[in-house]
Amino acid sequence: MNNLTILPILIPFAGALLLLLLPRTVRGWMAVGLMAISLAASALLLWTVTTTGEAQVYHVGGWVTDNIPFGITLVGDQLAAFMVLMAQLVLTLGFVYALGCNDQVTTYPTFYPVFLMLTVGLSGAFLTGDLFNLFVFAELLVVSGTILTAIADDRFGTEAAFKYFYMSLLAAAFLLLACGVLYISYGTLNMAQLGVAISAETTPLALIALGLLLATFMAKSATVPFHFWQPDFHAAAPTPVSATLSSVVVKLGIYGFLRLTTLLYVDQAPQIQMVLLVAGVIGIVYGGLAAIGTHNAKRMLAYSTIAQLGFILVGIGWGTPLALAAALVFAFNHALIKAAMLMLAGAIASRAPVKSADFNIITGVGKQFPFMGVLFFIGALGLAGIPPTNGFISKMLLFNSGIVGTEYVSLLIIGVAAILTLIYTIRAFMRVWFVAPATPGKSKKGDLLIAPALLILLVLVLGLWAEPLVALATDTATWLENPSTYIEAVIGNGFVLTEVP
Amino acid sequence: MILIIAIGIGTLFGIALYQMLQRNVIRSAIGVILLGSAINLFLLTAGNSNGTGPAYSTVTETQVDPLPQALVLTAIVISMGGLAFILAMLYIISARYQTGNLDEIDNLKH
Repeated sequence: MNNLTILPILIPFAGALLLLLLPRTVRGWMAVGLMAISLAASALLLWTVTTTGEAQVYHVGGWVTDNIPFGITLVGDQLAAFMVLMAQLVLTLGFVYALGCNDQVTTYPTFYPVFLMLTVGLSGAFLTGDLFNLFVFAELLVVSGTILTAIADDRFGTEAAFKYFYMSLLAAAFLLLACGVLYISYGTLNMAQLGVAISAETTPLALIALGLLLATFMAKSATVPFHFWQPDFHAAAPTPVSATLSSVVVKLGIYGFLRLTTLLYVDQAPQIQMVLLVAGVIGIVYGGLAAIGTHNAKRMLAYSTIAQLGFILVGIGWGTPLALAAALVFAFNHALIKAAMLMLAGAIASRAPVKSADFNIITGVGKQFPFMGVLFFIGALGLAGIPPTNGFISKMLLFNSGIVGTEYVSLLIIGVAAILTLIYTIRAFMRVWFVAPATPGKSKKGDLLIAPALLILLVLVLGLWAEPLVALATDTATWLENPSTYIEAVIGNGFVLTEVP
Repeated sequence: MILIIAIGIGTLFGIALYQMLQRNVIRSAIGVILLGSAINLFLLTAGNSNGTGPAYSTVTETQVDPLPQALVLTAIVISMGGLAFILAMLYIISARYQTGNLDEIDNLKH
């Protein structure tokens, strides 16, 4: 059943090509159907990995002799399968939102195919076991994300897309340079082989590659020194796209950090974790303060992503199995909450007199839509980490792991900064649903609320019945503690490093 | 030969960094593309560590490692797509603002 590993990549990819041949009216429905199949395949992959306890390895083209891969390897270990399931779940609901979306952009013939290519890029980047292949999939992801933003209804879409593309080309250049540097040192780009080789002998060039890879993943996940493209880009993207960009696409960087600390650079992990901890704490404080200072709901949520990713980075920075499990739970829950909140912000913007998420325009618009207010309020509670939402579970696990690990200084700072979340979410809620509208107008027909309602339902379900997710994340953290499981699954025991002059 | 390529890589990196720091969007975009070319050239030399004879041929000298050439080919195709796309976006932006100066393209500053 190793073919299972390629299905989450292959189904959206085939779908993107197929959709170009179909009439425009059925493209959206076909895309949702294909994503549902792909989601089922990734769920099956995660189930297979969890029950068998073995990574599902797929050697593309069968280029493997005596367990030594020569071609591209796709590795569905538990971390990759977990991330793919998270990504495909949110992306499927993003497609559902796009179906009921009134934006002009969803009627363009290329919208759904390009959106599917974004799914291919993200799933492929999670599943690949080859560093250069990661570069290719990350580029695919970047180009599709940029196209979707450049054609957005927002008139600043092109500028925001240019800013993101410029930044991402730089990040891609760093990743490519890191590939070259590692290839010179070790003569391989397979991540399992690199993990063995780097822990056997760390050359000075490998440390340069570490710096380049850290910069790449920081740019991808909008970690604080590299964050400046993110609020513009996520606020300007069309709502279904921005909901997925800000929730799951930034998790590519998180995945990269996890791979760096637990597979590639195990010996250098304490230093990397220190960098991530500092960047995470700064991100939490900065993101929270910047979100309070914004005048646009989507922009506020984009800044909030910087803060929430800071919490995940702090979890990776503490580095204990407990903290890694907490970081994974946090990543999953944040994806659901942030996607729901951005969809709700976009839905309220589509009902405003002028289509905009600016607070001056959407003030009081929510008064006619109490159901949406309930959804937004639950999402706000989730973002701030108040029961009975899953945000509470993730914050509780993270703080608990900090107390167990006696990390009191960083715990104090992030504990105080977590209150900032409550301030900006509740302020947004009060302004949109409780203040009288500036210009009382009749209600407009807006985007459908099916996708955010489903996401908020998941938020509540995972808040009240969190045990399966927590058990899964704990299991995944055990995988991360033993990189040998991953390495054995890919290259077996018979790996001998070839001499490179 | 190694020395010439090394000087070439260094020069390309220098030009790329200089262009990226210019205040003109088009210059700075060209800088990013040049940076990609410099890295491609660097990748190409990564295969020369064994020897520089043609790969998969019957020559007796040590043959070049062909894998970096495949990597460079992929990277060139990707950066070509990126170049076309970034220039198209720049066309829209510079037509909208009637300028290429980064200081005057400031509508995103809310």
